[in-house]
Amino acid sequence: MSDRALGVLLLGFAGLGPDQDHQQDMYLPAFGSHPGFEVVGVADTPAGASSSTGHRLAAKLGVPAAASWRDGLTDPAVDVVSVCVEPGLRVEAVTAALRAGKHVLVDKPLALTAAECREVGAVAAETGLVCLPAHHQRFHPMIGSALAAVAGGRVGLPWNVQADFLVAGGTPSEAGELANLGVYPIDVVLALTGQRVRQVHARITRHWHDGPADDLALLFLTHDHGVTSTVSVGRMRALADTRPAGLAVHRYRISGSHGVLDVDAARPAVAVRRAEATGATWHGASTVGRLLDVLHAAVTAGRSSSPGPADALHVAEIVDAARASAASGVPVELPDSEEGSR
Amino acid sequence: MARHSVIAGGTAGQPSLGVVIVGAGFIADHHGAALRTSDRAHLAGIVDVDAGRAATAGRTAGGVPWTTDLAEALARPDVDAAIVCTPNVTHEAIALQVAAAGKHLLVEKPLSVDVPSARRVIHAFEQAGTTVMAAHTHRFYDYARAVADAIGGGAVGTPVFARLALLGGWIWPDWRAWVVDPGVSGGHALHNGVHLLDLVTWWIGAEPVSVYARGRKQTAAELGIHDYLEMTIDYDNGASAVCEMSRGHRPASLDRRDVLVVGTDGILQLPTDGWGSTVVTESGTALLHPQASDGFAVQLGAWLDAIDGGADAAMTPADALRAVALGVAAERSIERGEPVSVAEVLGGVPA
Repeated sequence: MSDRALGVLLLGFAGLGPDQDHQQDMYLPAFGSHPGFEVVGVADTPAGASSSTGHRLAAKLGVPAAASWRDGLTDPAVDVVSVCVEPGLRVEAVTAALRAGKHVLVDKPLALTAAECREVGAVAAETGLVCLPAHHQRFHPMIGSALAAVAGGRVGLPWNVQADFLVAGGTPSEAGELANLGVYPIDVVLALTGQRVRQVHARITRHWHDGPADDLALLFLTHDHGVTSTVSVGRMRALADTRPAGLAVHRYRISGSHGVLDVDAARPAVAVRRAEATGATWHGASTVGRLLDVLHAAVTAGRSSSPGPADALHVAEIVDAARASAASGVPVELPDSEEGSR
Repeated sequence: MARHSVIAGGTAGQPSLGVVIVGAGFIADHHGAALRTSDRAHLAGIVDVDAGRAATAGRTAGGVPWTTDLAEALARPDVDAAIVCTPNVTHEAIALQVAAAGKHLLVEKPLSVDVPSARRVIHAFEQAGTTVMAAHTHRFYDYARAVADAIGGGAVGTPVFARLALLGGWIWPDWRAWVVDPGVSGGHALHNGVHLLDLVTWWIGAEPVSVYARGRKQTAAELGIHDYLEMTIDYDNGASAVCEMSRGHRPASLDRRDVLVVGTDGILQLPTDGWGSTVVTESGTALLHPQASDGFAVQLGAWLDAIDGGADAAMTPADALRAVALGVAAERSIERGEPVSVAEVLGGVPA
């Protein structure tokens, strides 16, 4: 472990949704409470109203605001760049940060297409720096123990996974919820099974929101070793018992040759029931906090992270294939990839 | 040559409906038990191709007449109806015989093993003017009716996505069981899969458009049927359902029902651990089922209602035909590795 905290540049305050700001909502609080990191600068992209966000935040944190996002990357105090720029600039920003010698944490999705993920992965490999896609749901405490249980053979050889990831309320993503949310359950299914996907069948629909963007996707995946999985992922209307943009259903069932494992990621929870509302609460490290542990460990050990760009690439390949399948109505084969996925 | 009991049939004048059970296997016991609780119908006889089995069933039922000859049983004036519990591939021939005899029929699901055959059965009963119902018993279980009533009452708005999983371990005795022979059962999608395909379609209340299914021979590679089925139905209103039917899960004692219905207005769930008590003993953890209505008795009542012609039938011939079509579509989809349209199956023309 390094004896000094790693310097963090917060780059960008955008996401896939119009009001999505994971930088301030998720990463800044997590960096702030993690002893291994210190926010040393803020930089923003010229797009939209967000450029004033960067200056306001820099003043509040008492750190410099870079004149441009590229200037921010030259600061020698910066070890890690937390990238939350708008999707159209994401690949450029991530590769520029890597080429500037900085480790990178990238909000999900790493990129919108497999081709772009491949480009980022190539630069990460070339520089040898850490490029961590924020697939943080795999660090959920229930999922973390499930990953270990499956890998430890508790249910024998896994042969099927059923996953549901349904968010209630919040602002829908213009890119569609498959692109916005799909990465989370797909990443968890891949992490649980350790098996690459070879074929994708999908149905992508819209039920709750106006506009062209999808809000419910059903994926039928065929993995190596004949493992099959189905994933439902989407954003439904708000529910009284779920915080806005919270998870209404988040669960996985893993069937193996010798047993079944049910994971309800709405747990563990202290259930609180009151006259006007119900809720649940739990202490312990957040999924983003655990993600930062992984980032810190990879940077200080000088090794690549897991998940890494190859994981983001495989998720993007699956999302691309799902779109092709939904359009054609038939299953789509995935090409062999040179990059392995775990 | 036919064999039969020496007990004379005939409780003519009895007000309740005389019912013969055809096929004295495992499921016949449930129908027999339902008949015993009914004051509107009674067991009038047993028919089975195996004289020993028929005789035993007749004696067990308190000495009802038995025979190996269906025609003989159907000719009896005190026999008004038949409950058929024979292997699936025999359903059509027996049903046609029941219709020709002018009797009513409750036939174990599936109605038949293919669409043209199911249509012939329905046509025969239309001609005879008697009632035919397929025994999709899950429709009459408490859980299924609770879900249907909640959806029907608008609890979740319009359903857009449903999951139904019935997961268990191996219940079929050995390789000699007819249910593992796809030539006799029609395949697992037709044998057990139709339960789920029918149930979610009833819940969703829309017309199925296509089925995409994947099958797995989990318990043994040598199986002729897929003991694990994952069947997806797309509906004409944009809704989808994922049904899992398994006899291939471990441990073999596993007994799972999982229901999730996501609608335009909310979510309905009958979680895996939410419909029974948990018993933890030296031999492990098990689910203790709540006391429940006898689905077979409720179903019997619905069939008798349909025969009386009072209410709309709870399970119509059209429902039974659609279930067969969905089961055939699922088997075809597994074979082809892609979705199969219901129209193709109903039209009888391969794409």
